[in-house]
Amino acid sequence: MASVSATSVSFGCSFNQTKSITASKGCSISLGTTNRRLSSLRFPRLRVYASAKPETVSKVMEIVKKQLALNDSVDLKPESKFSELGADSLDTVEIVMNLEEVFNITVEEDNSQNITTVQEAADLIEKLVADKPTEATSEASA
Amino acid sequence: MSFMMRAVKVPPPSASLEEARHRVFDLFRSACRSLPTVMEIYTLNDVVTVSQLRSAISSEFRNNAHITDPKVIDMLLIKGQEELSNVVEHAKQRHHIIGQYVVDRTGMHHGAGKDPSTSQFLDNFYTSNYF
Repeated sequence: MASVSATSVSFGCSFNQTKSITASKGCSISLGTTNRRLSSLRFPRLRVYASAKPETVSKVMEIVKKQLALNDSVDLKPESKFSELGADSLDTVEIVMNLEEVFNITVEEDNSQNITTVQEAADLIEKLVADKPTEATSEASA
Repeated sequence: MSFMMRAVKVPPPSASLEEARHRVFDLFRSACRSLPTVMEIYTLNDVVTVSQLRSAISSEFRNNAHITDPKVIDMLLIKGQEELSNVVEHAKQRHHIIGQYVVDRTGMHHGAGKDPSTSQFLDNFYTSNYF
């Protein structure tokens, strides 16, 4: 539920014409204007690309550290590029496969080309993990 | 015997090193994705983890990382694909897998088993006719 409050905060920043936003646990949001457009917020299938959760980022960093056999003295930030940490292209692909296994996702071909930092990997994982249960529900209802 | 002739079509050669690299990563990805199946087929759950097998695969790939000729890379890819399909369709047996991919692999890099040679002339002679 912490993720719900995070997404409601980000919405508060992006819409200028909102008067007041109250987000409750059921995701019902009351607004002065443009009510119809934002009524989709009531459905839990809302996908807001907020930045990745810290647990995800730290898990990714763990995996990268083990894969590249980095000492603890190496400064590993979410913005560190894999190539700066001494990874060649095969290492990058292997890290992506490791993440696929740990998070039980499938990274598409073109997505994996864009992953160069820890943060990008974590964001992509969040997106894929969020997409997965919605696919399951749509298949169940079909 | 006809089942052996099913897949003898050779794919077109790679136009460039980039395309060859692309194919290499495709093979690597399909090998990694088949690892859970392999673990189940050969019941390796108590012997090794998926991560260890994955690093064994990547060290096999890295052994040939110094090669730059796309045709040679294509040939190695065909051999790799054949090896992968043999493993996945249970044409190998458990002791093959364990001996080739699980057992201690520290001596398996390029130029591993060669003693430091006393003759530079002989080294050059073994590699090529012209030096």
